[in-house]
Amino acid sequence: MTELRLHRELYAGTAVDAAVKTYARFAEFELREEPTHWVVRVTAKSEARATQIARELANYALGTTIRERGGRS
Amino acid sequence: MSSPLEALPSELVTADLVSGAVHLRVDLTLYPLSAVYASAYVFLDRCFVLLDKPDAHTVRVTLAPRKAGADEAVLRAFVGEFSNELLSAAWRQQIAQDNRAVIEMVTSQAISAAMGAPSLDDLAGFDFGDESFEDPLGIAMSWEEKYKKKVAPAEGAAAPSGDEPGGEP
Repeated sequence: MTELRLHRELYAGTAVDAAVKTYARFAEFELREEPTHWVVRVTAKSEARATQIARELANYALGTTIRERGGRS
Repeated sequence: MSSPLEALPSELVTADLVSGAVHLRVDLTLYPLSAVYASAYVFLDRCFVLLDKPDAHTVRVTLAPRKAGADEAVLRAFVGEFSNELLSAAWRQQIAQDNRAVIEMVTSQAISAAMGAPSLDDLAGFDFGDESFEDPLGIAMSWEEKYKKKVAPAEGAAAPSGDEPGGEP
């Protein structure tokens, strides 16, 4: 199990949701909201795979957030 | 375990050689968040990028190269490239902000020029009334209106001399 903590001021909630939906068929996800972070728990066949999927998910969520907020100049 | 990278300030950059990742602290009073976003976006295809905000004025950027086995030299190169990209993005944003008025003016002129000359229907619908026209300096007033002879305020007041503007010759 790998836990990913994404700061709510830096990552859009909709982007995190979209990322989880995209990678839903590769692992199991558990989402939790904290006052400052979106917390995503990733469970996969192996720890290495969970880490890999968590990193890909974080990239996806960041890319989507940036496109949503128009930060790409 | 995080350790400083040679020739880079340890309070700003640390590396984790075991996991092959590097951490940068970006001061948001120097670099706007949009510049951090723009720089991070450039690295998404080569690195796993994770952002965090340990305090109100700092963003912590973690770069982990997608290719396994990144050594210190590779991590140092990524730090340098990210820093350059960050500075470039911040500067581009500053230029865009400084030139915003000029850009908007040129764009609006280009659009209005592309629309062509107004048609007779446009002119027929144009409001030529004087209602909303403001002329604080009196530029649009006629000479006669502007310098017309003032009515004497009271008896015994001196008559205007002939060489005053608006006076009879």
